[in-house]
Amino acid sequence: MFPKLDPILHSELRLAVVSILAGVDEADFTYLKTRTGATSGNLSVQIDKLSSAGYITVEKGFKGKMPRTTCRLTPQGQQAFADYVTALKQYLSVPKD
Amino acid sequence: MTAQQSLSLITETLNNSRKEITRGGGKYFILWGCLLTLFSLLVYCLWKTTDKAAWNNLWFAMPVIGFVLERIIRRKDAAGRVQNDVSRILGGIWASFGIFAVAVSAFTVIYTQINPNPLGTIAVVVGLTAEIVLLFGLAECISGVALKNWAIRIAGLVTDVGGLIIYYVANSDKEQLLIFTFAGIVLAVTGLIMKNQKK
Repeated sequence: MFPKLDPILHSELRLAVVSILAGVDEADFTYLKTRTGATSGNLSVQIDKLSSAGYITVEKGFKGKMPRTTCRLTPQGQQAFADYVTALKQYLSVPKD
Repeated sequence: MTAQQSLSLITETLNNSRKEITRGGGKYFILWGCLLTLFSLLVYCLWKTTDKAAWNNLWFAMPVIGFVLERIIRRKDAAGRVQNDVSRILGGIWASFGIFAVAVSAFTVIYTQINPNPLGTIAVVVGLTAEIVLLFGLAECISGVALKNWAIRIAGLVTDVGGLIIYYVANSDKEQLLIFTFAGIVLAVTGLIMKNQKK
């Protein structure tokens, strides 16, 4: 029996965002947009979904006079990401007929 | 998305994050490499022309200028720069090296003023230049290990071996300064390799 893949993470853009955040302390919106190549609108929607699930924290502030949105992976998000990778490995370790 | 595609996406993203940090570090290698090259040549030329070892005090201006320039670059980079454990380790390695190099050099200058050595300056007796260049190459090599980058590890080794060859071949204290010119060029070239790493 295969474990169910987390539907929050099993989306290309959300998974990309969480993967980026897993490798850094925090990243701002512009950085995530550049790295994922997503549009601002789409990225904003997906960040909200991750935030609502409690996987990331979103902090809005200012850098000088410019608004800055900073995202950071929460411990819950780290655990979900680790579980997701473990589940993926189980899918891939099944020998093909 | 299939499981294979998901795993590939995760692997690629994590690898890209590491490359991004390597590329980001490249400009600091270039900055310090250029400063080291310029200062070593400047001190060498002034010392050779005037025959006054006091020009070596100019070295103490290098970390000050470097620190200011680094702050300017960091401020410009703020939006596109991220931090993680690797970048913190890199910062720690080079800060430790910088503190060591400045502290040992300052100690040498002060000690030489207070207690002149009949065998020559204490810098010559303890092989200060060789000591610093060895640590410099070691810091570069450890940076390569942290970044999992062979070019940087090899550059560290080249700095150490090349630096020691110049140290033993050099005929005078003045010529030994060219070790730092060599180390600076290697550091700047390594920075260029890091900065132009493929995405």
